Amino acid sequence: MIRTTNLKKTYYLGVVEVPALQGISFEVHRGDFIGLMGPSGSGKSTLLHLLGLLDFPTAGKIEIDGLDVAKMDDDERTDYRLRKMGYIFQDYALVAELTVLENVMLTAMAQGKPDDECREASRDVLSTVGLSNRLDHLPRELSGGEQQRVAIARSMVNRPIILFADEPCANLDTMNSKAVLDQFHTLNEELGQTIVMVSHEEWHKEYFHRIIYLKDGQIDRDEDRRVHGI
Amino acid sequence: MNETLIRLKLSFFLGLRSLQRGSIGSLVMTIVIVGMVFTNMIFLPSVITGAINLFVDQTIEFQSGDILIEPKENAELIEDLEDLLARVNRVPGVLRAAPHNNIGGVMKFKGNRLAGSVIAIRPRDEVLVTGVSKMIREGQYLGEGDTGVVVIGNYVAGHKDKSEDLMPSLGGVRTGDSIDIEFTNGVVRTYRVKGIAETKSYMADQAVFITWDELESIRGQKIDQATEVLIRTVPGEDEEEVKLSLIGMGIQEEIKTWHDLLGKAFAEIVQSYGVINSISTIVSIVIAIVVIFIVIMIKTLNNRRQIGILKAIGIHRTTITFSYVFQVIILAIMGIIFGLFILFALDRYFAVYPIVFPDGDIRPAFTIADIVTNAVLLFIASAIAGLIPAWLIAREEILDAMRG
Repeated sequence: MIRTTNLKKTYYLGVVEVPALQGISFEVHRGDFIGLMGPSGSGKSTLLHLLGLLDFPTAGKIEIDGLDVAKMDDDERTDYRLRKMGYIFQDYALVAELTVLENVMLTAMAQGKPDDECREASRDVLSTVGLSNRLDHLPRELSGGEQQRVAIARSMVNRPIILFADEPCANLDTMNSKAVLDQFHTLNEELGQTIVMVSHEEWHKEYFHRIIYLKDGQIDRDEDRRVHGI
Repeated sequence: MNETLIRLKLSFFLGLRSLQRGSIGSLVMTIVIVGMVFTNMIFLPSVITGAINLFVDQTIEFQSGDILIEPKENAELIEDLEDLLARVNRVPGVLRAAPHNNIGGVMKFKGNRLAGSVIAIRPRDEVLVTGVSKMIREGQYLGEGDTGVVVIGNYVAGHKDKSEDLMPSLGGVRTGDSIDIEFTNGVVRTYRVKGIAETKSYMADQAVFITWDELESIRGQKIDQATEVLIRTVPGEDEEEVKLSLIGMGIQEEIKTWHDLLGKAFAEIVQSYGVINSISTIVSIVIAIVVIFIVIMIKTLNNRRQIGILKAIGIHRTTITFSYVFQVIILAIMGIIFGLFILFALDRYFAVYPIVFPDGDIRPAFTIADIVTNAVLLFIASAIAGLIPAWLIAREEILDAMRG
């Protein structure tokens, strides 16, 4: 589904080169729930941004369903993100001026679906994350856990082929973190949703099928927990 | 729905929500500024237009009528006046013709002397042609056949305290006072002042009016001559058409419409005022562009992270850019509506309390076309001013924008 080949990313701080990724090659298969783990600065978020078409690699190749993303122009990348990908960010990244329902409807509306259909689909997905009673609230009126559930609903409303989550529990307490991870687990198990998630919490491991450990911008270990029967 | 419509619809949705749920203070401030700019774009030019209209109206009302007949080239007087008047009054489109015979003289009152125009008129015709009879400050206008009385202009009457006078005067003549007039033929007569006219037209307010009968009495003969004949056309008639009809009647004297009389110099003055209006409009638009640019730039910078988020979840950058353009368009529309309220309030106020100038009361004058033109200009300028900062921010890399 996703294949990266010798993926590299270098940042430049003035004349100083900072290598963030140094030749990452791996594959993501449909239905995977992958955890990207590793110490701070190991390149987890950078790799997620490249996979999610939010940034450009310095070298290497990313193929999604056989399509080389380097050949896409900016409009095509935007459209691909809208129709095929879902994102969940550490700090929820909701649009402050939109209600819960409108935040979720937004990406459905951007696809040109009729308003009624967008509203219906958004209500359904908000219902699955337990926020049916918060539809007309603004993000600032919700708790952190609730906001992250809105972000999950938003990422799911267009039925993406892959969901990217960048430390989605970083700002949540354990109870809310567990609720979010349970939600991911349900999506993965029941709908076969492919998920790639960045985390540094050891206890999150139990949710992942596969864990890719990064260290200094390279894959340190690729652990398939299903194979190992964990 | 095609892609462009989908993006525009989403832009409008995002823009509207941003205004509805954004800062009320910033919203109100921007609307007030746009409204003030719009008011400024129309108000100053409307005062200038009002001044031009005043000048034209005064020329027509007190100096020339709609059409003026003057003596033939190299002649000092219009001869065969009665025949001329009979012919002119028969021309379709002519309401009435009023002859003037300006004989000049020296007025004297309590030791003050003043040389000026003494104009003989036929009151019955005059009230139909000029506006002097409607501008009597005190006393009464002349009646047909009046003798021994005069109506004097406001500047001729003057004030006891001469420092209050704009022009040389007789030093505070009031209705009922007697003044002496020494005519150019040597005749000296004493007249009772029947009325004082205050037209604010220099021509009328510096003149003394006597009746045609009084003129004939001074000359001691029937007068069949005039220095000029003023013509009032029927309302709605084109004075150029009436002028052509008069020429077609075989009238040999000089025939000029008020427009001809004002001539090239007037056209140049109007053109100069037009330049001032254009400069004022440009300055107002520049102010509007700068203000809106700053407002939207601040807004987009504050929303930089949010713009990054929108791009990250797949919202196209043109959708984001146009969400700000729609905000600006809505602000411009609301500002223009606010400006219209101010303008109409000013219009009502100045209709009751006009701007008082020595040469007349100026009422700001603007038309629907002025409003539409300036609204469209401001609208376009606002859209451009909103587009540029939004376009700049929306071009930014997603992660840079998301880092704020």
